[in-house]
Amino acid sequence: MTDGLLPALVAALKPLGLNYAFALDPGERQAFVRGLGVTLQLCLLTIPGSLLSGVAIAAALTSGRRWLVRPARAFVEVTRNTPTLVQLYCAFLVLNMLITQQLKPLGGTNPLGPFVWVVIVVSLHKGVFHAEALRAGIEAVPRVTLEAARSLGFSQRQLLARVELPLAVRFALPSLVNNLVDLVKMTAVASAIAVGDVTYESIMIWTQRDNVLELLLLILLYFGLLTWLVSLAGRWLERRWRMPGYGQ
Amino acid sequence: MANEHALNPTGRPAAADAGPWRNPWTLAALGAAAVLTFWSATGSTPAVVTHLWRWLPVLLRGLLVNIEISVLAMALGTLAGLAIGALSLSPSRALRVGVRWYVQVFRNAPVLVLIYFTTYVFPFELQVSTWVVPFPDWIKVVLGLALPASAIVAEIFRGAIQSIPSAQWEAAQSLAFRRSEIFRLIVLPQCVRRMLPPWMNLYASITMSTSLASLVGVHDVVDTAQIASNTVARTDFTILVYCTLLGLFFAYCYPIARATRALERRHERH
Repeated sequence: MTDGLLPALVAALKPLGLNYAFALDPGERQAFVRGLGVTLQLCLLTIPGSLLSGVAIAAALTSGRRWLVRPARAFVEVTRNTPTLVQLYCAFLVLNMLITQQLKPLGGTNPLGPFVWVVIVVSLHKGVFHAEALRAGIEAVPRVTLEAARSLGFSQRQLLARVELPLAVRFALPSLVNNLVDLVKMTAVASAIAVGDVTYESIMIWTQRDNVLELLLLILLYFGLLTWLVSLAGRWLERRWRMPGYGQ
Repeated sequence: MANEHALNPTGRPAAADAGPWRNPWTLAALGAAAVLTFWSATGSTPAVVTHLWRWLPVLLRGLLVNIEISVLAMALGTLAGLAIGALSLSPSRALRVGVRWYVQVFRNAPVLVLIYFTTYVFPFELQVSTWVVPFPDWIKVVLGLALPASAIVAEIFRGAIQSIPSAQWEAAQSLAFRRSEIFRLIVLPQCVRRMLPPWMNLYASITMSTSLASLVGVHDVVDTAQIASNTVARTDFTILVYCTLLGLFFAYCYPIARATRALERRHERH
């Protein structure tokens, strides 16, 4: 493919004013493809990570225990009302520095790199939004349904696992998918701390070649593809888990 | 503070009911004031705090840049978004498809990528006949943020118009209102009320996105904090300055979020 199709494509786009000559340079092409892979990895790690942290935070928010609800609420408010970039700096420049300093006298090196920090920060950030959606979903489960299940002899645990959570997840699904689409877009912020994602690799290429527009079109296409896949999966799940009696 | 209580969203009795001295915010402010007085009276202010005090005006000036960018981007985005939203209701199919694409593209693009897009694609100065007008980076960031804002405002507007039951249009028509009158007197006032909460949410999120301006070389509050941290070069100051940065954004965005929730709650009842 590299010897036939690619030069033909580049040559075909040239008259349109789009200069994709970087794709013919093996080093730059590999860097760009690596960037695509890193962004995909970030998405594949942060999607389950954010869902897990979302469930944990939602559990804390709805636990009804004051000592658990209050810190969770404070965490949610701070996370929702501050920029991800600043959170990333606080984690990477402050926490990471502190960990490195603590480990230095012990002779250890900090095992956490920028990639891991992006995964942690983005997972927690979107986890907060998932938690809010799940909390709303839990609150939307009708009381009568729970009472009916209790009267049928469901134990507390069965009630949660068989009735409350399945319904809550279905109620929350549209906003969860929305959050995941946002999450995919948010991974672009990784380039700020030099994680080699697609945005970062593109910056490296366009500072050399001055082909910003061409690369930006590719990035937008790639993110469009990823968000489209996420919303496709979401729609599939919504159809699969459709509740009789709700929606069309 | 009075405002704070008016917007108390939980509906439980506000702390003020137990007297202003029980309010945790008042207590925190008093505590901070007491510590500051003690420090300045005994001359034992920690060096970190002195450094922060010296950098605070610069940081606030940086925050002002963020706020300017967010206000301008939101104003532009709202104007464009309303126009685009109106087009999405037009009878012409081609127009509707075009608008659909615009909204999809700019809603699904990462804001950071759009900011890079406007920063690097637009020239750094414009040639208007004989004058050369500089085109500074912060205006490009305004444009970069206005693009997604306009797409989202268009969606909010379309949703609001479509949420008005068509029976109202028919009822108004039967009362001999003209189409423009129905829109102006009946539909629009209800739409404004429905659009306000999501619009405020969008403003808060655009404000937070202005922090990305620091990545394209605008001297905003994040950039200032980095400069401060590198200039002073002390571990404790670095921690403090980034916490302050978090606090500044929180102090600006949290009241907006509270007001939004209070508005939503009020509309639920009506």
